[in-house]
Amino acid sequence: MRPFEYIRADDVASAVGLVSSDPKAHYLAGGTTQIDLMLKDGVLEPERLVDITRLPLRGIRRHGDVLHVGALVTMEELAADVTVTEQLPLVREALLGGASTQLRNMATIGGNLLQRTRCRYFRDPTVLSCNKRSPGSGCAAISGAARMHAILGASMHCIAVHASDLCVPLVALDAVAHIQGVGAQRRIPLADLYVLPGDRPDVENVLQHGELLTTIEIPLLPAGTRSGYLKIRDRSSYEFALTSAAVALAIDDGVITHPRVAFGGVGTIPWRSPEAEAVLRGASVNTQTFRAAADAAIHDTFTVTGTAFKVELAKRTLVRILQTLTEAG
Amino acid sequence: MTMAEAVPAALGPGVDRVDGRPKVLGAAHYPSDVTLPGMAHAALVRSTIAAGSIVRLDTARAADMLGVLTVITHENAGRLQKGKRNLFFPPPAAPLQDARISYHGQYVAVIVAETRQQAAAAARLIEVTYDRDEPVLTLDDAAASSQSNPYFIDMKRGDAKAAMATAEVTVEGTFTTSPETHNPLGPFTTVAQWHGDTLTVYDSTQNPFHVRAVLAASFGLAEDDVRVLSPYVGGGFGAGLRSWPHTILAALAARVVARPVQLSLTRPEMFTGVGHRPSTMQRLTIAATRDGKLVAIDHEGTSTASMGHEAPTRKPPTRKAPLQSLLKAPDEQPYPITAGTAAAYACPNVAARDKRVRLNIAPIAHMRAPGEAEGNFAIESLLDELSYELGMDPIDLRLRNYAEVQPQTGLPWSSKALRECYTVGAERFGWAQRDPTVGAMRDGRWLVGYGMAGVTFNHYQAKCHARATVHRDGTAHVCSGATDIGTGTYTVMTQLAAEVLGLPVDRVEFELGDTRLPQAPQAGGSGLTTALGSAVHNTCVALVQRVLTLVSDDADSPLRGCTIEDVVAHQGRLQHADDESRGETYSEILGRHGLSELTVDGDSAPSRAEAGVIVGSLVVSRLGRFGRKLVGASHATVPAGGFGARFVEVRVDPELGVLRIARIVSVNDAGRVVNEKLARSQIIGGTVGGIGMAIFEETVRDPDSGRVANATLSDYLIPVNADVPDIDVVFVGGPDPANPIGVKGVGEIGLVGVAAAIANGVYHATGRRIRSLPITIDKLL
Repeated sequence: MRPFEYIRADDVASAVGLVSSDPKAHYLAGGTTQIDLMLKDGVLEPERLVDITRLPLRGIRRHGDVLHVGALVTMEELAADVTVTEQLPLVREALLGGASTQLRNMATIGGNLLQRTRCRYFRDPTVLSCNKRSPGSGCAAISGAARMHAILGASMHCIAVHASDLCVPLVALDAVAHIQGVGAQRRIPLADLYVLPGDRPDVENVLQHGELLTTIEIPLLPAGTRSGYLKIRDRSSYEFALTSAAVALAIDDGVITHPRVAFGGVGTIPWRSPEAEAVLRGASVNTQTFRAAADAAIHDTFTVTGTAFKVELAKRTLVRILQTLTEAG
Repeated sequence: MTMAEAVPAALGPGVDRVDGRPKVLGAAHYPSDVTLPGMAHAALVRSTIAAGSIVRLDTARAADMLGVLTVITHENAGRLQKGKRNLFFPPPAAPLQDARISYHGQYVAVIVAETRQQAAAAARLIEVTYDRDEPVLTLDDAAASSQSNPYFIDMKRGDAKAAMATAEVTVEGTFTTSPETHNPLGPFTTVAQWHGDTLTVYDSTQNPFHVRAVLAASFGLAEDDVRVLSPYVGGGFGAGLRSWPHTILAALAARVVARPVQLSLTRPEMFTGVGHRPSTMQRLTIAATRDGKLVAIDHEGTSTASMGHEAPTRKPPTRKAPLQSLLKAPDEQPYPITAGTAAAYACPNVAARDKRVRLNIAPIAHMRAPGEAEGNFAIESLLDELSYELGMDPIDLRLRNYAEVQPQTGLPWSSKALRECYTVGAERFGWAQRDPTVGAMRDGRWLVGYGMAGVTFNHYQAKCHARATVHRDGTAHVCSGATDIGTGTYTVMTQLAAEVLGLPVDRVEFELGDTRLPQAPQAGGSGLTTALGSAVHNTCVALVQRVLTLVSDDADSPLRGCTIEDVVAHQGRLQHADDESRGETYSEILGRHGLSELTVDGDSAPSRAEAGVIVGSLVVSRLGRFGRKLVGASHATVPAGGFGARFVEVRVDPELGVLRIARIVSVNDAGRVVNEKLARSQIIGGTVGGIGMAIFEETVRDPDSGRVANATLSDYLIPVNADVPDIDVVFVGGPDPANPIGVKGVGEIGLVGVAAAIANGVYHATGRRIRSLPITIDKLL
């Protein structure tokens, strides 16, 4: 640990100013990723840490059919929210499956959305080749022991997975992020926030340095929509996803309507699948349909020895959650 | 005086851990809790290559950091001597003695600073330039040197090859297990302090006297000038059986800065610094008659080991005499896998061979049931295959080949209740409800599988000393320099002492974890309770005898002239066995004789049969039938280790490859169970370790660099609570006559057999025979 300056911000504007003005400054919220990366792994070495936990970015408010979630709402608070519990099972299930109770009580929604990858090649500074950490240095994971890695949006440059469970249902739901910059605000659809690694894996999103995620808007699902999140992993708990899928759909007279599909554990970014949705939309409820949707979703994969099994596992994950949702009721 | 007459209140299921309260209150000081005045903190730099040498070390930036006191590398460490040769626990190569690197993670520098954070920050600033050699990292690397019969305990009887050739049924398979890391909860920590030329060390160890010997040798000290303290250890699983370089480096750092130094390993350092369970590969063939009588077992096991610092890397295989290589390449621990094979079943023809392959990997260490767990996985898996081949129930197959006597020597066991393990386990599990057809049992989407395995565990006991004191206030103090790694040694020894002395448990204090106390063996090999418990028992008996000697011609004593056979001890009082009114308390006796206390030293030693079994087994190996006659003429009894049976119900989701363990019944013959609550905890813990071995645990190394790629508790998977089902633990059998307290060790046996039972359950559910651990989703898709 290198010495760093710690500042507790009193309001949003000064927090944004403090970080924007200093390229070596980072925000600190729940700290469940930031502190690991600083103290345990030695990957991040900010010279200034701006604590935003006292900013007025808490609270969950419903405006019509949209839920406004403050960036400092904890995972546990969002999972327990009545609206989420009643109307967004896919969000609740992703949150509950996403972390242990202790972590859910510390980790914030903003931090979850902007978490860094779990790739052990990124998180170990003694590994010299990591394009995400040191642009142009290569990717050690490609020839390494990759298992918890991406098969979609991946390339020779980077196979680090975006590990958030929560983001998977949120991109499926067309959530929108509110971003506060120095003197300016903007709204970005969550799906547009993340950037495919391409040949610049160090660039993970469209945010400028110092821009602060303040609120996330989650559109609610129409009445009668079924939704769920299925996470497949080795352990029953406390592990990131090998594969996961978030799905919402309605069934009208035996036909699927309003399908929403996204994958986790397989993409370098949270992976919305319009291809799967196109297959499902208007199709009848049967396993052939589901399999066709899965085949449409998982294409152009980039696999290495340790991740090849995920192609089939991701497809089966989608098929299973579709079966489960359509069997119920 | 006999056990039956002693105080039953000291024994039984209900005695809580005597160390529970201080642990809960935070009053139990683990090495990482030790704070000494003026204490500095050390951090380590590890090599990032697996083979080669250091060309340049740039320490200037680190040395200039705030708070840094010194940077120690091979350029300024000075000479350290290597510890004395020890076959069971080879001392580590002396650290920081030269520029050579033989594994990724080898220490290349130590930084000492005022705070731990400063030391860690400075460690990141050390720049090391290496000259990298191509490392040898896998068993199948052509450059890997393989050694046959590396431990001299390869065994055979009959003629396995000939019997195979004519056998009615033969099954064979290649089984692999992955490297595992012990991962005790407490990061290993050393606090070292010098007083002139004497050294005091607080250390996370299961083997304090070994640490003392290694430190004394390293610094050229007499063993008496080194004191090792380890009253509380945050778990071990075998990682603390050897001595490790970081302990030596902490002492070196303390000497260099002339202050106490604490060195606490990080979790990633725990993956390379304190050993690991090596990967293994086994080729196994079993032949039988159509009606299920085993006729031959041929078992070859290969385990991996560290290249060793003395050996140059990429050396071509040598044809050196094995004895010479064993003694001359002494920095790796023996790791036999097939050693238990000859003792498991009544099969007339057996060949069991071991091989060792040395790689550019960190040193190995014994990990809970080392070798036994791996060997059992192969044998019990292949017996399951045989049962399907024969259309025979797997329990019937095992009973058909039940070893009524120790099969290699033909000598009787001291006790054996394996049959009861099978029958009681089958009953409690509901084995009779099993439809043997593969895939026949379902629960919704889940395929249900029942699997079982049998266990024969090796016996082990070492020499042990103890000291017992009775005080005038009627309390007792008993001690020995052993360790309690969380298993319950404090409690069980307190109970055993209280039993003999006739004192309530709360009047007896048991002390351990200090090399100034009488010498005890390591907490390992499932042998500490037998060794230490017997020593405590013998010493307390000697103490009672000493008290009786005191009053032997004391006219005022109602015990005058009594021998130990005449008395019982009860409620702090010695009294006539046939007339409890005639007796007196320890306090009365000591008071009348003007004594404040009375102390005796005592010990226990393994019976001659302990070594005799190994020798006898080898004699039979070499001399065949003639050897068996020779051994039989000894009329010895084989001290038996534990026996067990595992019954597991698994659930497999065939589309998703998800495997869950639904329930486990673990039945064990553990001899006399001194404290059922603690013994049960040991079996449960072992079972959880077995689940880990079966379906989760694997230390993954980068194929090119040898770096451990999953060196965190987030990436290295062990079972979490949600993965562990109800575990029904049952004890059968009775006191074993091979030792005075009738016990058998329970520290390791709980783990053994779990992997095979799970794998067999997976086959029953799915028809997929997985011979490679761990059984992960990708293998079941």
